Amino acid sequence: MTQFPTIYSITESEIDLNDLLAKITLTSTGAAAIFTGMVRGVTSRGDAHETEYLEYESYVPMAEEKMKQVADEIRERWSVVEGIAIVQRIGKLYPKTPTVLIACTAAHRDTGVFEAARYGIDRLKEIVPVWKKEIGPDGQEWVEGDYIPKPGE
Amino acid sequence: MNRIRLLFFATIRDRAGTKSLEMEIPADMTILQLKEKLGTDYPNLKESMKSVLVTINREYAFDEAVVPPNAEIALFPPVSGG
Repeated sequence: MTQFPTIYSITESEIDLNDLLAKITLTSTGAAAIFTGMVRGVTSRGDAHETEYLEYESYVPMAEEKMKQVADEIRERWSVVEGIAIVQRIGKLYPKTPTVLIACTAAHRDTGVFEAARYGIDRLKEIVPVWKKEIGPDGQEWVEGDYIPKPGE
Repeated sequence: MNRIRLLFFATIRDRAGTKSLEMEIPADMTILQLKEKLGTDYPNLKESMKSVLVTINREYAFDEAVVPPNAEIALFPPVSGG
């Protein structure tokens, strides 16, 4: 288990998918499930609005520890997962810019690797201390989540 | 008395008007008591203390936990990364 690569970081730099993918691809790897989220400029679902940019901040040392925890949780649930990359970009980010990336690799696509990546992004949004402020034509507002961590999380 | 370091993020930082504080607190103070003290010392924070998340040394902590010496305590709203 420990020989599998695990990458987790908070960064102010552009997220380099090819570089990350190369780092989590082993000779035994035949599949990667990748989720990336980007800044949405126009929101039509729910409260329709436009976004000029998002400003992300993080409690970096804790965020990286919690990303490691998310990776550990993925490995507990999907032992077939080979490499894991979890990267959150922070700073001022404009529409169409990727902000987060979760990638999991495995030998084959039918191993649960899609679910593993899905679990990773859902968990990141629950426990990793990152916040974003939304700046739009009508002003700025902090986006607040709704998950309250439980003891041991 | 214990010396602790407080860190504020997002809405909590905006309301506190600072990113961090050093503070002396009684040795047996709990998180609940610390939140009450912050709400009294910094009236702008009073409302936020009801729903704030708290960490002790980078792990989530809850009302009954006792703040250890030299702790790094962070206060912030529910996270919104991704």
